[in-house]
Amino acid sequence: MDPNITNQQTANRNIANQQSISRDEQAAITRVIARAGQLLQAYNAESRLIEQTTERLGIAFGLDSVEIALTSKAIILTSRFNDHCVTTTRTMKAHGIDMGIVCEVQRICILAEKQIYGLEQIKLRLDNLAVPKYNAVTVACFVALSCACFSHLFGGDSIVFIATWFTSFVAMRIRQWLTQLHHNLLTVFFITAFVATFIGSFATGFGWGNIPELVMVTSVLQLVPGFPLINAVSDMVKGHVTIGMARWMTATLLTLASTLGIVLAMQLAQLGGWI
Amino acid sequence: MKELLLMLVGDAFFAGIAAFGFALLFNVPRQALLACVLFAASAHAVRTLLLHMNVPIEWASFIAATLLGLATVPWSRKVLIPRPVVTVAAIIPMIPGVYAYKTMTGLMTLHHQGYSLALQQQVVENGLLTLFILTGLSFGLAIAPVLVYRNKPIV
Repeated sequence: MDPNITNQQTANRNIANQQSISRDEQAAITRVIARAGQLLQAYNAESRLIEQTTERLGIAFGLDSVEIALTSKAIILTSRFNDHCVTTTRTMKAHGIDMGIVCEVQRICILAEKQIYGLEQIKLRLDNLAVPKYNAVTVACFVALSCACFSHLFGGDSIVFIATWFTSFVAMRIRQWLTQLHHNLLTVFFITAFVATFIGSFATGFGWGNIPELVMVTSVLQLVPGFPLINAVSDMVKGHVTIGMARWMTATLLTLASTLGIVLAMQLAQLGGWI
Repeated sequence: MKELLLMLVGDAFFAGIAAFGFALLFNVPRQALLACVLFAASAHAVRTLLLHMNVPIEWASFIAATLLGLATVPWSRKVLIPRPVVTVAAIIPMIPGVYAYKTMTGLMTLHHQGYSLALQQQVVENGLLTLFILTGLSFGLAIAPVLVYRNKPIV
């Protein structure tokens, strides 16, 4: 779809919709947009996407513009129509990474732009977001397989592959269990890294495979905060420096928590330094 | 030549599976999973090929991420799914996780065992490598929206 045509269409619609939005309606629209922005931020979408989606939703509903200020813990959003502004703030409760929800909000935005859905329908759909989750055991199996693949890419043989799979599977199950109990993310990372390294240290102790250390090294790779790190740099590249810094700091803290777990496990296993 | 090709196929295969696991962890929708695996596999193979041709790892990561970023644009428009949904999971196999951990453990060892020049050198080298590979990856992904689609949304 050509974006120029869409822009033209929305512009025409704006002219048609002029003077048809009352103040109450504008407030209702703003609440729906704020909800969409809040969802995107809570499930770790990058700032540019939040900014664009809220703006497009506003224009689709016939507003003149939507301005958004993002902080690491909240969004502040102002909608403007005929020089009348409605401002609202929403705090953000982090829910972890869920790309299913990000996709769904984007789809809802497109439905609004094509005027397939009205405000009420979109409100309903945002309130009852039903995004299927993958089965936890399946996820753990495949994440463990990912770590095992890393060990292969770093040159491990089949014994290392199997040992890594087993270690990361146990660690991943513990991680899922702790997340389910709503523990702090740092605690979860610390304990998971500790367990993974401790089990992995047996491979080193008994000398399994061609490079036994790989089991320890790669089974904690599931904890590398890749998503926050990539989001942090892309936010900064696209001008959201403060929120990028906040994300970078979060990622650093998570790495630090995992490293503490690793170091503690290694000192218990009496294996000395990691390097 | 044949050996190189086999190596690249193996590399792509394992990188693809690695990305699949993380895509499930990030709850990437079903219709995007296959794309995620294919993009990850080809991007990782490109990087391995470049490394084989003695390109420094930061530049190899940057080029692979740029190609990945540009390749996802037509896909993203077709299925109406925002690019970060697949690009981030696809890039995970290239994230310098081991270097990041080595930097942190190095810092802790520096404190624990006392200062030594060799240890400090390792910490700085690993830290810089982590930083530059990450920057390369994110800049590469950002090339399409920053240079080509300056103010227009892709999806």
